[in-house]
Amino acid sequence: MFHQILLQIFQKLNTERTISAAYHVLKGKRSGQTIQDIGLFQLHQYFGLLPKLPRTTFDEAVKLFMQNSWLKVQESGHFHMEKLGLQCAQQTPTFFFDGWHYRGNEHVFFARLSLIVQSLSHQTAAVRSFSPISRDPSIQAWVRSFLQDHHYLQGHLQQQLLAECASVLKNLPVSAGSKQLVLYRLSGYRLPGWTWQQLADERKESVLDSQLAFIESLHILLNEVQQKNDYPLLKQMAQGLRVKILLTDSAQQTAQLYEKGYSIEQIGQIRKLKQSTIEDHFVELAMYEPNFSIGPFVSYEEAEKVWQASKHYQTKKLKILHEALKDMSYFQLRLVLAKGEV
Amino acid sequence: MELEELLYKHFGYSSFRPGQREVIEAILQEKDVMALLPTGMGKSLCYQLPAYILQKPVLIVSPLLSLMQDQVEELKRFGEKRVVALNSFLSITEKRNVLHYLEQYRFIFTSPEMLLQQQVQEKLAQMKLGLIVVDEAHCISQWGFDFRPDYLRIGEWLSRLNRPPLLALSATATSKVKQDIRETLSLQAPFEFMYNVDRPNIHLGRIVLGDKADKASWLMRYVKETAGPGILYVSSRKRAQQYSEAFLQAGIRTAAYHAGYGAEDRQFIQQQFIDGELDWIVATNAFGMGINKQDIRQVIHESMPANIANYMQEIGRAGRDGESALAILLYSDGDEELAKFVVTGDLPTPQHVDRYQELLSQQVLPAQMLKNGELGETAFRVLDYWMQQETTEQVRARLNHLALEKYRAVDEMLKIIQTKDCIREHLVGYFGQKLQKKPENCCENCGIHYDEIKKVRLNEEKKIEMVLWESRLQQLLLGN
Repeated sequence: MFHQILLQIFQKLNTERTISAAYHVLKGKRSGQTIQDIGLFQLHQYFGLLPKLPRTTFDEAVKLFMQNSWLKVQESGHFHMEKLGLQCAQQTPTFFFDGWHYRGNEHVFFARLSLIVQSLSHQTAAVRSFSPISRDPSIQAWVRSFLQDHHYLQGHLQQQLLAECASVLKNLPVSAGSKQLVLYRLSGYRLPGWTWQQLADERKESVLDSQLAFIESLHILLNEVQQKNDYPLLKQMAQGLRVKILLTDSAQQTAQLYEKGYSIEQIGQIRKLKQSTIEDHFVELAMYEPNFSIGPFVSYEEAEKVWQASKHYQTKKLKILHEALKDMSYFQLRLVLAKGEV
Repeated sequence: MELEELLYKHFGYSSFRPGQREVIEAILQEKDVMALLPTGMGKSLCYQLPAYILQKPVLIVSPLLSLMQDQVEELKRFGEKRVVALNSFLSITEKRNVLHYLEQYRFIFTSPEMLLQQQVQEKLAQMKLGLIVVDEAHCISQWGFDFRPDYLRIGEWLSRLNRPPLLALSATATSKVKQDIRETLSLQAPFEFMYNVDRPNIHLGRIVLGDKADKASWLMRYVKETAGPGILYVSSRKRAQQYSEAFLQAGIRTAAYHAGYGAEDRQFIQQQFIDGELDWIVATNAFGMGINKQDIRQVIHESMPANIANYMQEIGRAGRDGESALAILLYSDGDEELAKFVVTGDLPTPQHVDRYQELLSQQVLPAQMLKNGELGETAFRVLDYWMQQETTEQVRARLNHLALEKYRAVDEMLKIIQTKDCIREHLVGYFGQKLQKKPENCCENCGIHYDEIKKVRLNEEKKIEMVLWESRLQQLLLGN
């Protein structure tokens, strides 16, 4: 999985950047350059997946790719993919990471869940003292107040949490193996979790690949939990973990109204702002919010025309593109360019 | 009220464990005390009970945040509410509140780092404490693996303070370390209690083999034939990994255990071991684990321990239930060289001293060395402390001396291995005690009938199989 992810990132950065740019993306480096690359090359899902990735592990993979004739690296660190590498990249599956929005916070969610499950498991067994799986005082304090808020002493919380987890996992679009992986990172009374090494051996893959499968499952789970209202307990555990401040405040307010179903005109009226300002917000959304679809404003055929024109004229200048595509509005052109080619 | 009654009233125990009464009585007579008690033998009670009698706050200095948290939680389980951990995890507001009401707590846990802060020192100077406890006091000694320079600075602070009695607690300490504790903390004619280091139910084997490869084949054969649960100590993470893989391939339920794993993984392994899902743990000897398993039957050392205290602590994990257990030390010629290499590996070198000086002269923070990974965290802590105290020449001499001391400790261990007399007598003597009685199957030199102690590994234990996620979820939350 790690190699496949790397191939995908390299494919997107092909000829434009150095190999280190890919490393910075995976590490989640918060420099202007990396953030800009994320937007330009549509690398949102990979951002900050492996904050602790050792450079040596990354370099070993690059070396392997070179040996496989997948890519060539120049002295300067710039690289280009070779035909074989591009073919391999084509064959990789689509992943559903959401690194841009979680940035490692999925581990906070899981630490909360782990300690809650461990506590409830011991309560079920009527065992009062155990050594908490999370040593982090802020996690412990959070879990303590969660358990108290839900009157865990009454003994109903187990059933509620079981029902929520069973229901969300049942329909989650991930393999049964990945669900098992997540469950075996949890522990309870006389039910120790499995180490990464043990899980990787069982799954016949590397530890890093198991960890990535785990992270992907958590990202999918978190997005599901936060979009629906059916999982109040899990939603509470996920509270505050999805990074929202990608947009300016004003654009965010616009986004909220849009999510409620208001049109551009209506949002302008409600917010007492000019339509062009609201349109700016939508362009911002298209640029930074990967889940925002421009479909309601531009058809796929229209978008394709814009890309073709952009390629043909070798430009992203609006004026020239508007000349070429007279039936499209400036707003539509900006949306397509902001979203980038997908 | 009698001490026993108070013990029962506050903690629900009806009798003291060895040493507790003596230590508590000395504290109540306002004496300084140094108590050496093994982990899991009720060390904490030595200050917990006096706190209810003294009716003044007890200050406990603890070097490890996790340990502090454990102790706070333990007291809370006994129903104590007036307990606080004054450490770096508190927010500024929380800290201000805690400091403001500090005298109202019965138990104040804190870290050496915190104690060095001026506002904390000022507050404590205004208060009347009943007792100061220095937990894990061996961290004070620069000869120990856990040396914490901040602990030395507490010594300086304590000497300025008009202080109540002081209780220094530790699990193991050699006479050298004991002397360091006494001097650094300026203990006044302390009452000393040391537990009986002899563990008669642990039989001390020693097997001499040709080389590394002989050890490996001996071990493979041995673990296939004999029953666990056991711990195999090796000298590096890599070797722990290798042995663990080899054992697993042979169908033996094994896991490696070392500091390279995350906290969750370490706890999972401990739990699997305790629950009987693993028969062997292959661990590095540099890494102490807080494992509390009563029925460990075997502890094997594949390579030489760094010193006698480590050896005792490591074999001491066997046979906590009082039943017979076996400790086997494998030795081949020249093992002491590897041990010496390993023990000095975490010391700063003269090159590090130069580099430190160089950075200072370039007006770069020396901590840059640590960031660059030029040396380990412990090594940097040691170097940084002494460079602030002494000249470069003195530091160089000191580091050299430290290395020699570590070599000497390895040589002492070697003597134990090479002796032709009773190993047990030697070990006990090393801690300044006299062996009362030799048990049956005492040690390699007195003669061990291995067959009488070790159990044959019966049939292949069943490997734990994964269950479907739905069942696992159900088991976790509702039991089976």
